[in-house]
Amino acid sequence: MTDREVATDGGAVAESGEPASASGGSALSRLRERDDFVVVASAAALIVFPFLLVDVLGIVGDVIGLSIGGYTGLPSLVLIYGIIVIGFNLLLGYTGLLSFGHAAFFGSAAYSAALFSQVVPSPLLMVVVGTLVATLLAWPIGFVSIRRSGVYFAVLTLTFGQALYFYALGPGSWLTNGDNGFSNIEADGLFLGALPFDAPLTPLPFLDSYTVMYGFAAVSMLVAVWVGNRIINSPYGLIFEALGENEERVEFVGLNVFRYKLMAFVISAVFAGVGGALFVIHEQYIHPTTGLYWIQSGDFVIMTVLGGTGGLVGPVFGAFVFEYVANVVSGVSLPAIGSIGSLWRFVLGAVFVTIVWVFPRGIYGAGEDLVAMLTDRSGGEGGGDTAAADGGERE
Amino acid sequence: MLLLQSEIASILLNGLQQGAIYALLGIGLTIILGTMEFLNLAHGALYLVGAYVGLIVFQETTLTNGFLYSIGITSLGFDGGFLAAIVLVPVIGFGIGLLMERFVAEPFYDRPETDQLLVTFGLALIVEETIKNVIGGNTFQSIAPSTLFGVNVSQPVSLPFVGLFPSWRLLIIVITFFVIGVTYLAIERTDFGLVVQAGTRDSEMVRLLGIKINRSYSLVFALGAALAAFAGLIGASIQTISPQIGTTQALVPAFLTIVVGGAGSVRGAIAGGMVLGLIISAMTQTYSQWAQIVLYLFVALMLVFRPQGLFGTAEVGE
Repeated sequence: MTDREVATDGGAVAESGEPASASGGSALSRLRERDDFVVVASAAALIVFPFLLVDVLGIVGDVIGLSIGGYTGLPSLVLIYGIIVIGFNLLLGYTGLLSFGHAAFFGSAAYSAALFSQVVPSPLLMVVVGTLVATLLAWPIGFVSIRRSGVYFAVLTLTFGQALYFYALGPGSWLTNGDNGFSNIEADGLFLGALPFDAPLTPLPFLDSYTVMYGFAAVSMLVAVWVGNRIINSPYGLIFEALGENEERVEFVGLNVFRYKLMAFVISAVFAGVGGALFVIHEQYIHPTTGLYWIQSGDFVIMTVLGGTGGLVGPVFGAFVFEYVANVVSGVSLPAIGSIGSLWRFVLGAVFVTIVWVFPRGIYGAGEDLVAMLTDRSGGEGGGDTAAADGGERE
Repeated sequence: MLLLQSEIASILLNGLQQGAIYALLGIGLTIILGTMEFLNLAHGALYLVGAYVGLIVFQETTLTNGFLYSIGITSLGFDGGFLAAIVLVPVIGFGIGLLMERFVAEPFYDRPETDQLLVTFGLALIVEETIKNVIGGNTFQSIAPSTLFGVNVSQPVSLPFVGLFPSWRLLIIVITFFVIGVTYLAIERTDFGLVVQAGTRDSEMVRLLGIKINRSYSLVFALGAALAAFAGLIGASIQTISPQIGTTQALVPAFLTIVVGGAGSVRGAIAGGMVLGLIISAMTQTYSQWAQIVLYLFVALMLVFRPQGLFGTAEVGE
């Protein structure tokens, strides 16, 4: 309550009797931007997430007779993709660059982490090495691709990614084991074989879904959220956003557009690298198609846009929806229609088109607008305004 | 490695044949891009539809999975032969193009190009998944006819310099180059083509002159779609057919083609298709493992050093 009053005093409401809810909203949004709040809120969400996804949904599923509960490995997978799309959103949602080649960074990190594990079987170092390789690769690819924009940028990133894919599949087989996939990954436990990844963190039987892998992914996610939030709310991130809105003006101000775009590209590749290394630790297997093919890059695009670009939560929510549909909904058998099975990608495509068409702010953005509209009218207007501002920004 | 004369000749022929398919795809994509400034990632889906419509019209095909199989339909097709397919496929492609322009492209003309890319990307996903779920996700054999107009086209013919070369592939080169030539003339030499070209430069001015540019838009879109579907039929007659070909065999090569040739230029799409076809054909015959890698790196170099392409004047979207 005191928070709200302080905000009201400092806000722009002093002159007129604006509804308190509006300033309350701004106080809330200010609170939401603070680092420690973001990290604490994310930590809370991460603590309840597996329980809700695996156990609660599992029980609900048992009651209604549909298997809608997640399996034990799913929460970690969602977090891994979540980390990637936080970075991808910095590029697509803020800087406005659509890359169809981020699988290159994801896959190269996964492969280098897997190869490194044979030298030193330490997951932590695997993540470091994988991220390092992805970063070093992103620099030259970004340096070349950033010089073009729009569809040319998309095609350039695609060509580099595809060249890597075909290298891993064919001539690079000596390194990657080609089409058979790479499975010699020496990372059984968090510390040199101790704490195996699929063991539960606690001895409590009802918290089985909290595995060591989940703990590892959750801590990585917290770091990613913290870094992502820092970037978004820093002057540096503000320039990214300005680049997405009007590149020319940023140039007129005297800033080096090329350098900022390149940095956005490299930073997003760092996130993809972390995700790729974690992915290979989680799956214990990597194949050129899951790692490097352009469909994987397309999946990153779908997740980000599905959830909603331009925020921290939206893309992660998109990653959750994507993986939930891919892994759980695909296994659901409906009474009248029958098994959804391979229809899941169709469902996803239809939802994706609807989102792009009707809700450019994504599922999360649409949900936010809806909540704002329902809670009070002035909040609703505010939500509408931000939507309009968002629409303007994308043009 | 020293190449024999016959090897060079067969590289050229294979390159022309693959290049002609790329050119068909590229022309369709480039006229849509040039005229409406619309980026169509569903272009590969039209190729896919062309291939499957061709498959169904051409012969009676045995189904092994998918929705139709699950409701008891084990075979599908009209057994109409290749001539029926060659007429029907472009017509159906044309119709789909008209509908697509009206219901998908038009609402997105005024929206940012990222949105156009995203919505057509989703649409391509839907088409691919629909085919996979209805007709089946398995791979079908290619649909080359054994005779056309009573002439046997399944036997290889002997050519000077080349030696034996499949006569069907030779015929494909003739057919596709005929279609490419007609399209080129239609855009360069007719009034319709003139309106389309003027629309590329300044659509508002064309509208002020009292020309219904919207009607031309639908026609251009439908023409591009018909060409893509036709390319799908031709591709299906030499390569196996599966739901993935829309992206792997068509969408990605089509974009590479127009990037090499220069966006918005029909001449560029033809040249770009030929260049890419020759690269693929030459590499496949010599260092086949590196074929795709060299292809992509060539396009990357092209984009860096000559972003306007072979025949383009300016970059679209910059």
